[in-house]
Amino acid sequence: MQASGNRHFDAPPQAVWDVLNDPEELAGLMPGVDKFEIQDDKNWFATVKVPLGLGGLKLKFHFEKIEERPIERAALRVQGKGVGAVVTMETGFDLAPADGGTSMDWTADVQVLGQIGSMGQRVLQPIVNQQVGDVLEALDERVQARSA
Amino acid sequence: MSTTETATEPTTLELGSYQGAPIPRKEDRRLVEGQGTFVDDVRRHEMGYVHFVRSPYAHATITSIDVAPALALKGVYGTLTGDEVAIQTDPFFQIASPPGAHVKDYALAVGKVRFAGEPVVAVVAKTRELARDAADLVEVDYEPLPVNVDGRAALDDDAPVLHEDAGTNLSWEGVYEWGDLDQAFAEADHVVAIEELHFDRFNSTPLECDGALVEYDPGTTQWTLHTNNQFPGFAAIMMGPAMGVGLDKLRFVTRDIGGGFGNKITTHPQLVALCLLARKLKRPVQWTEWRTEFHQSMSHGNERYFQDVEVAVKADGTLLGFRCKALDDAGAFLRYEPLGGVIWAQVAPGLYRWKHVKVEFTQVMTNKAPASPNRGYSRMQHLWLTERIIDIVASELGLDPVAVRKLNYIKTEEMPYTTPNGCVYDSGDYARCLDIALELVGADSVEERRTEAAARGKLLGLGIGSTLDSGTNNFAQSQLLNPELQFSGNNEVATVKLDIFGEVVVTLGTTPQGQGHETTASQVVADTIGCAPDAITVRVGHDSYWNSHAGFSGTYASQFAVTGLSAVKGAAEELAGQMRQLAAVVLGTTPEGIVLADGMATRDDNPEAALPFMALGAIINANNAGLPPETEDITLNARYVYRPPFDVPDLEKKYGNLTLTYATQIHACVIEIDRETGDVEIVDYAAVDDCGKRIHPQIVEGQVHGATAHAIGAALWESFTYDESGQLLTANFYDYHVPHALDMPQIKSGSIESPSPFTRLGTKGMGEGGGGGIHCICAAIQNALAEAGGAIVTDSHNPAQRVWRMLQDPAATRSGVSVREA
Repeated sequence: MQASGNRHFDAPPQAVWDVLNDPEELAGLMPGVDKFEIQDDKNWFATVKVPLGLGGLKLKFHFEKIEERPIERAALRVQGKGVGAVVTMETGFDLAPADGGTSMDWTADVQVLGQIGSMGQRVLQPIVNQQVGDVLEALDERVQARSA
Repeated sequence: MSTTETATEPTTLELGSYQGAPIPRKEDRRLVEGQGTFVDDVRRHEMGYVHFVRSPYAHATITSIDVAPALALKGVYGTLTGDEVAIQTDPFFQIASPPGAHVKDYALAVGKVRFAGEPVVAVVAKTRELARDAADLVEVDYEPLPVNVDGRAALDDDAPVLHEDAGTNLSWEGVYEWGDLDQAFAEADHVVAIEELHFDRFNSTPLECDGALVEYDPGTTQWTLHTNNQFPGFAAIMMGPAMGVGLDKLRFVTRDIGGGFGNKITTHPQLVALCLLARKLKRPVQWTEWRTEFHQSMSHGNERYFQDVEVAVKADGTLLGFRCKALDDAGAFLRYEPLGGVIWAQVAPGLYRWKHVKVEFTQVMTNKAPASPNRGYSRMQHLWLTERIIDIVASELGLDPVAVRKLNYIKTEEMPYTTPNGCVYDSGDYARCLDIALELVGADSVEERRTEAAARGKLLGLGIGSTLDSGTNNFAQSQLLNPELQFSGNNEVATVKLDIFGEVVVTLGTTPQGQGHETTASQVVADTIGCAPDAITVRVGHDSYWNSHAGFSGTYASQFAVTGLSAVKGAAEELAGQMRQLAAVVLGTTPEGIVLADGMATRDDNPEAALPFMALGAIINANNAGLPPETEDITLNARYVYRPPFDVPDLEKKYGNLTLTYATQIHACVIEIDRETGDVEIVDYAAVDDCGKRIHPQIVEGQVHGATAHAIGAALWESFTYDESGQLLTANFYDYHVPHALDMPQIKSGSIESPSPFTRLGTKGMGEGGGGGIHCICAAIQNALAEAGGAIVTDSHNPAQRVWRMLQDPAATRSGVSVREA
């Protein structure tokens, strides 16, 4: 599944960058995070309960920062394992000043393997869309809070 | 709506009053009352429930397995890993010659996984739910490998190799060539070329998934497998050598089975895992497959590409010959394959008088679930090709598809007809079946209906699907794939006995899954020994302890009406002979002077001199002192093995008779396409069946309906679709839509009876001819689209989105089709 989009923030790129590159802040953006551990500045681990409609799917994620170009671009490789599911994601975002704030282009390539993956895109795509929407909303709030 | 005609009268049949009559099915009372015993109903004290940990990856190396967290859970009895399997068993015997022969296939993944859903570890626990939960605790680490799900790329230099031992993804290849292709193309007025046709991957989805309860007796070192496997003979041949045990150590027991359609033939890997677990844990183990597991891992039908198809045609539409390449995708393992590489040859020319045929057959392995037999196995794909050829030729040359069919159909008067590859079509009247089908769908008025539909914004199309149901395999055809194989012929067994209280008991070697074997066997016995079917008990299912089975026993490949009922007939005749002999001794006459009727053995010259069957049973079984020596051989317990008359084909020329009978089904339908959405609605549908003498017409009609539903599903909704990472995207009934009652059109049934001259009862195997539904829907879609750009249907599966694309860009579908003047 591939997803991409653009989001405008009423804050300078540095503020957005700071939130997105702070593991603690990042953990706060994701819905359903039970546990978060920082191994080093490039590797983090999180246990997340992903809502699936009929109940939550608990996944243990490994986040690895694979690209970093302050304050313009960063990319992460995410691997999650859970009951009947393996999730892999490569996501990246590009920041640029725009209209007195920041324009963020983002992409995500998500692969869900195992029985959950076999539910098919009809089920998973709306869940991914909702998760992305929630993350972006939370990101907006955190950026506003930081730049306030 | 149904109609029946008789094509030709049999010359040697002596049917009694029960055969041919739609008597109440013996099975129905217990099934309707919920008293059937299916495999999941079998319970044993202290049994454990099995759940398989399955690979989420389509191709990966297994780097570690940790079962400790699962074992630590209270109520977990044990586990089994691939490493244990590899120590305790040998790889399954492979049917293929090299390179496919080098594939190593075990009950669980050993070292690597090759398709998503492949079983990696088995967990056994006190409850089904606990086993499932415990399976989630098993830690398996994988190192993902590149994946290939495209059969056309499987032999590319950079394609990931699934089986390193084979060194290639090629499982088998061979060239079939009969007749003189050069001559055919030299004589042709036109050559119609089709770049590629694609037969999609689906299966026929039995209501009941796979399952088994396995017990191990350490005293006798014997396993009892209560299972719904539909071909125990094959399972035993696969399992025995792998487990290093003789076949008598594997007792197979089946009872009621909720549909099979070939999909329940290749459960031997799971059965071996259960056997090892039962022995390891010293307790019975039970496994019932979940639906998603079934979709992900069991018995997909063969996906096949037909490439570079060329057809030699005379100006009047006479078909001279065709040549093509067939590329078959077997998935990750060869569980019954590469037999699909030869089974299609049973119907090499389809229903047509093509004299010159060449097929270059290649089968490859990909990171998808293993292909295995599926209703219409391998012939359906090939018959779809021949039907697509007819409609594309007709379309491109401006000919009437009905006329092209009738011009080229093998004629009734040519039967028995020897095909270019030596198969013998026993009997049939294809043109008459077609006429009935066309009449049933109102083909005469199709142009008016087309106009009326157009006024509603709909495109209307008429399509025909001609298909053959070749039944009673000659297993020697396997030698065309691998001359080293020691399989040939076929057999089936039945026993019929008259017991002490006069009860007639029949045991079969077959494993019925809804085909009504108890009913039809009782009809044949009743007519043969002279009693009512109600007086006959046909034991439910199969049990290898009954000694009523042989190497090919099972229910598959359209053969019970020939192999099973011929065995029943043979045993019943032998019993009847013994009954006459005994009655003659008691009543003081000759066996020829005894009439068996109405449950009595009576002197034909004195109706007062009669013995009830009960008396005969009692004399032999319990009151036999003083019987004269001529009764020594009378047991009133007859076992008969039916062996069809087959020879081994000429392996070099790939020539010989591959099946004994050929039933016909001609389907016709009228469909409407919504121009806006591409949605296809079937507005009229007819299926005309000719399976020779029908023992029970309603059972035949039921199978025609069921097979038609499978075909309609495959044509419009059912597809096993994978993404590029090898994930099956249609692993549940949400995404894999099987037709519901509301999806089904009203099927108009017709039938004729062209008795087989090669079988004892004039019967032919049937039940798999439903592929005609795929053919006729493809033809109808193409016919409907003729007025909207003339798209050519090149895929067997045409959901609304594909039809919509054909409406938007018909030229794209036409680009691979051309006609050249020869």
